[in-house]
Amino acid sequence: MATEVILPRLGQGMESGTIVRWLKAEGEPVEKGEPLFELDTDKVTQEVEAEAAGVLLKIAVPEGEVPVGQTVAFIGQQGEDVPEVAAAASHEEPKTAAPEPEPAAAPPAETAVVSGNGRIKASPLARRMARERGIELSDIRGTGPDGRIVAEDVERAEVGAPAPTTAPVPRGEVERVPLTSIRKTIARRLTEAWQIPVFQLQTSADMTRVNALVARLRERDPDVRVTVTDVLTKVSAQALLRHREVNAEFTDEAILLHPSANVGLAVAAPQGLVVPVIRSAERLSLTEIAAVRSDLVGRARESKLRAEDIEGGTFTISNLGMYAVERFTAVLNPPQAAIVAVGATEERVVPLDGGIAVRPIVTLTGTFDHRAVDGAPAAAFLQTLKESLEDPGLAL
Amino acid sequence: MPELTYREAVRDALSTAMRQDDDVFIMGEDIAEMGGSMGVTAGMLDEFGKERVRNTPISEMALAGAAIGAAMQGMRPVAEIMYEDFMTLAAEQVVNQAAKLRYMSGGQLTVPVVFRTQGGAGWSPGAQHAQQLEAWFVHIPGLKVVFASTPEDVRGLLWSAIYDDNPVVFFEHRTLYPLKGDVPQEIEPIPIGRARIHREGEDVTVIATGRLVHETLKAAEEAERDGISVEVVDPRTLQPLDEETLVASVKKTNRAVVAHEAVTRMGFGAEVAAVLQYQAFDWLDAPIERVGAKFAPLPFAPVMEAFVVPHAEDVLAAIKRTVGKG
Repeated sequence: MATEVILPRLGQGMESGTIVRWLKAEGEPVEKGEPLFELDTDKVTQEVEAEAAGVLLKIAVPEGEVPVGQTVAFIGQQGEDVPEVAAAASHEEPKTAAPEPEPAAAPPAETAVVSGNGRIKASPLARRMARERGIELSDIRGTGPDGRIVAEDVERAEVGAPAPTTAPVPRGEVERVPLTSIRKTIARRLTEAWQIPVFQLQTSADMTRVNALVARLRERDPDVRVTVTDVLTKVSAQALLRHREVNAEFTDEAILLHPSANVGLAVAAPQGLVVPVIRSAERLSLTEIAAVRSDLVGRARESKLRAEDIEGGTFTISNLGMYAVERFTAVLNPPQAAIVAVGATEERVVPLDGGIAVRPIVTLTGTFDHRAVDGAPAAAFLQTLKESLEDPGLAL
Repeated sequence: MPELTYREAVRDALSTAMRQDDDVFIMGEDIAEMGGSMGVTAGMLDEFGKERVRNTPISEMALAGAAIGAAMQGMRPVAEIMYEDFMTLAAEQVVNQAAKLRYMSGGQLTVPVVFRTQGGAGWSPGAQHAQQLEAWFVHIPGLKVVFASTPEDVRGLLWSAIYDDNPVVFFEHRTLYPLKGDVPQEIEPIPIGRARIHREGEDVTVIATGRLVHETLKAAEEAERDGISVEVVDPRTLQPLDEETLVASVKKTNRAVVAHEAVTRMGFGAEVAAVLQYQAFDWLDAPIERVGAKFAPLPFAPVMEAFVVPHAEDVLAAIKRTVGKG
């Protein structure tokens, strides 16, 4: 008898998911554990694996939103009969409206050439230059082989001059970008977060020693590229345990103080903002944090985070330093009581020992849930953070 | 500055070392009366006598082994392996003995031997007498590997190889023997492990060895006419490799081509490309191009041989691909 493929519950609170695409076609053999379809939930996009081996006999729901527990396909032996139930039971809203007309032909590439997996074709040098100058590759038209973005294209983009070949013709229509589940969730949660009474505190820290520490760690262990973000994660975790009122969550009955610092990192994934979590960061060494961070961020960018990767955070770091942002304020990531926004580490002139010096300075802006934490303890937390960055030994 | 051919430059290094140093001697097949199959050692028997210019039986394994034994006993022998194709016969001694003994004896032994050998296509020697096998030996820890492309380099590097306390496999290219070039009045040792920049350029770096250095210099002149400025670098020593110079050049030009006469598959250029992509990743503006022989035994027929091995136009085509003008 054919095995039903049921829409799985990937995390707490998940009630439905949207099938993005099937990775197997009807009639194709399937191994147990092989990725079967891509499922977009309000938290992650994840590949769902087959729980039985055989042949994918029927796809009952080719795409669209489906409640958890519904049968979406059948796996069985070749030629086996499939029960009728599934297709009719689809939870999907009837498609009364005519589908959006497809454009007659693909519009000519006006910007970057994007390959099937969403990756923009650009040389490593062009990537580095774009990163350093804060230019989005997607805004650049490549003139190299196969439309590859090369250094010259980035130079041109910075000057703002058009590419030497035909300039892109502006298109008159407003482009509609349908909301994905993740986009909807981002919108809903940020609107909720906006209701929370928050206050912001700001401080700056001299990063000379952190930079030296990162350089030494990289030299000692080039395979694990420790970054400033890893140091921030570590010192934040230590500071959170020293100031537990910040490592908190406000509920109607009580304020919950978490026993461990689960530090979330805001990552720009292709489908939108995600915040994978480094668990118990206070117990991990810098190289351990770097390894976990590299894995999580890598999977975030490939849309391969699992539900458990993004659950249980107690604090968030949002770092826009790579975009030459000097300082900014972040919106709270509820139910967490605090988030810190990290700007670029820049050479700034600072007073030092009665004279002046040029030092790498970073500005940190904390946003705190005032229901859970008051100004003074939040300020003390930020002070610990600053001191630990200026003298990382103090975080030990 | 005197002018010497590449062949005379090799002979000059050998003779000068033998005149000043009784520990240095040469051995090989037909190197005495006949002067070697390529004429490199012609006349040396008359000057140094048959004790120091030793003909050996036709057994590369035996002659390599004898040279290693002499080196372990404190001599500085230079063994000629007539064709590098025959290095395969000497490989047991070179790979398993010479390369290992210093390490396995905890430094109690040194093996200051040089294996001079030559190869290369361009004169129709067929599949068994023209291979370029340098990559085989670069793969062996314990060996140094040299491949010189000019009279000045071959003389200065052979000198350093003779006086190096480690085994050195020293490749010469058959078609370079008649090449003339200026050399310093006195031999100036060239340190092993240092590349030579033959020509400075801005747009693309070509890292070439042996005959391909000269093909690349021709290609660079052609490219210049198209407005492409080419930097030409010869590593000269394949092991140890002057990574610093190669990487610095590519960081300047942002594009790289590696060129050698050996087949590209698992060739020396593959290693160079790996080094460059790792150390200069964020500086690369184009994929690294490789130029080498097609993956085939060398044909005997001259037109087919010319088809299989790379020439200046192949290097030029690769240069143009890297700058997006291919």
